[in-house]
Amino acid sequence: MSTVDGTMGRRLGLTGARYLALSALACLLLLPLVWLVMSSFRPAGEIFANSHQFGWRTFVPGRLTFENYLSLADSGFPRALLNSLFVAGTTMLLGVLVNSAAGFAFAVFEFPGRKLLLVLVLASAMMPFEAIVIPLYQIIRWFGWVDSYRALILPEVANGLVIFLFRQFFVGVPKEFYEAARVDGASWLHIFLKIALPLSWPVVVTGALMQFITQWEAFFWPLVAAPSPDHTLVQIAITRNISFEETSWGRLFSSTTIACLVALIPFLAFQKLYLRNIASSGLK
Amino acid sequence: MTELTASGAAAAGPKALPRLKKPRSHLGLAALFLAPALLGLVIFRLAPIGVAGLGALYRENLEGDQVFVGLANFASLFEDMGFWHSLRTTILFNLIINPFQIAISFAMALLVLRPGRGITFFRAAFFLPMTLSIGLTAVLWSMLLDQTLGPINALLEQLGFARQGFFRSEDQALGTMIAVASWKGCGYWMVFLLAGLFGIDDQLYEAARIDGANSWQRFWHITLPQMRRPLTFVLIADTAVNFLFFAPVYIITSGGPNDATSLMMFRAYEAAFTFMNWGRSLAYSSVILLIVIGVAIVQLKLLRHGEDES
Repeated sequence: MSTVDGTMGRRLGLTGARYLALSALACLLLLPLVWLVMSSFRPAGEIFANSHQFGWRTFVPGRLTFENYLSLADSGFPRALLNSLFVAGTTMLLGVLVNSAAGFAFAVFEFPGRKLLLVLVLASAMMPFEAIVIPLYQIIRWFGWVDSYRALILPEVANGLVIFLFRQFFVGVPKEFYEAARVDGASWLHIFLKIALPLSWPVVVTGALMQFITQWEAFFWPLVAAPSPDHTLVQIAITRNISFEETSWGRLFSSTTIACLVALIPFLAFQKLYLRNIASSGLK
Repeated sequence: MTELTASGAAAAGPKALPRLKKPRSHLGLAALFLAPALLGLVIFRLAPIGVAGLGALYRENLEGDQVFVGLANFASLFEDMGFWHSLRTTILFNLIINPFQIAISFAMALLVLRPGRGITFFRAAFFLPMTLSIGLTAVLWSMLLDQTLGPINALLEQLGFARQGFFRSEDQALGTMIAVASWKGCGYWMVFLLAGLFGIDDQLYEAARIDGANSWQRFWHITLPQMRRPLTFVLIADTAVNFLFFAPVYIITSGGPNDATSLMMFRAYEAAFTFMNWGRSLAYSSVILLIVIGVAIVQLKLLRHGEDES
């Protein structure tokens, strides 16, 4: 990476132009987020007062207050937050188990039709989920699952991309590793749970994060699959509150900030691992 | 997509295996390990495709029974001006947003490729919007661009311009959608392009420099051809995402104003959940699925083609 220096890098140059472009883009990408977070600490009366002038006051509230956060307590938001945490967390745990087992089987076991099945798994990974939301709703309705946690969790557990990432990892482990344990009389289940799975922790972390974030950010499916307030997820709860009156903006700021942070914290913690794995998934 | 690594592993497998007691086929074991995942994929990914195709052939009569109507749902869809308008809008949307996002993401990747002072900060800044969900992105920008309370309009006013409608303006709504979706999306696609750029062999550049190629020639003759696979992947993946563009339309414009943002996924949703016309909605879904599957086939073809060359 550092040897790229001086080749095409010099063309882009350490010139001011490069940093000017970088700074302009960074402002465009970051300032909306700064505005969101700062506005969540703004007293209700100030939101309209600042709407006719753009300046540093747009980003810095005159008085800091937590009232926008406190007022969320008696809304449907806490329930939605817990719903989302439960759904995303359960999907993540089930997903790691189910997808790693499948990845392990594809990598280690010999069976007829392995290649064909793997291609099907990959094909499922390439198809965007939104494309099938409406027919999937029909299926869930036949199952009698509409408006349940099952409807929110189960369709997102099996994940072709995560299976594939696990397979790639387990293929790279020398067979001797498993064979030694086999000779010692360990069962395959034991080998998988006690040896292979712990060994694959980077994929476990990436896969878990992917599935957690996918569920946390899901919109279309929870919108149709769980319409009642009991099962409303956080993204839906926030957008239901959207209106163009200033009175509701304070809560929109605070609830959006909270929803962003929950996805952001694990992302930042495992940023390198996560980005490397999603990038490699596109290049293999 | 995986042919190279997959066949490599398959070749290594049988050679390693005979050294332990040659295992019989692991069919039973494999079935046990695979069953939960495959069951999930079949029920929740594969079956819906069939349901879309079959359900589109039925219509609910006044008594609430499903009646087989053949291709009638498709016929009435194709006679509907609204359908053609939304198909045109969806295609126009894609023709603009995909090249636009890829150009911007590529530029962003090139900008942060080379290490330098503060580059870590800029990389992080470029990644950040991708952690916002598309729904929250829509909420955030509908407030930023609000006609009376939004700070963007305050800025415009301060600079002496008139306040703009953005999402509320028939002429600006689709363009605003594209800009807002790109604000979130470009950092994500940049990740793939950046990984591709890191993968280019430096010796290619060295050789070109020795041959006297200038930086533009190096970009044109080395970087671009070497980036073919990542660029193809991003183009097709991005297109699939944008053909299914839904949340911001649902949250902000509901297809309006005056059908300006009438994208197909929203119309399919509306047919089912607003008008309770499942046959029509599934016919819509089938058309969308055909487009997406067509795009996926093109993706495989293009990638395969790229492999033959290398």
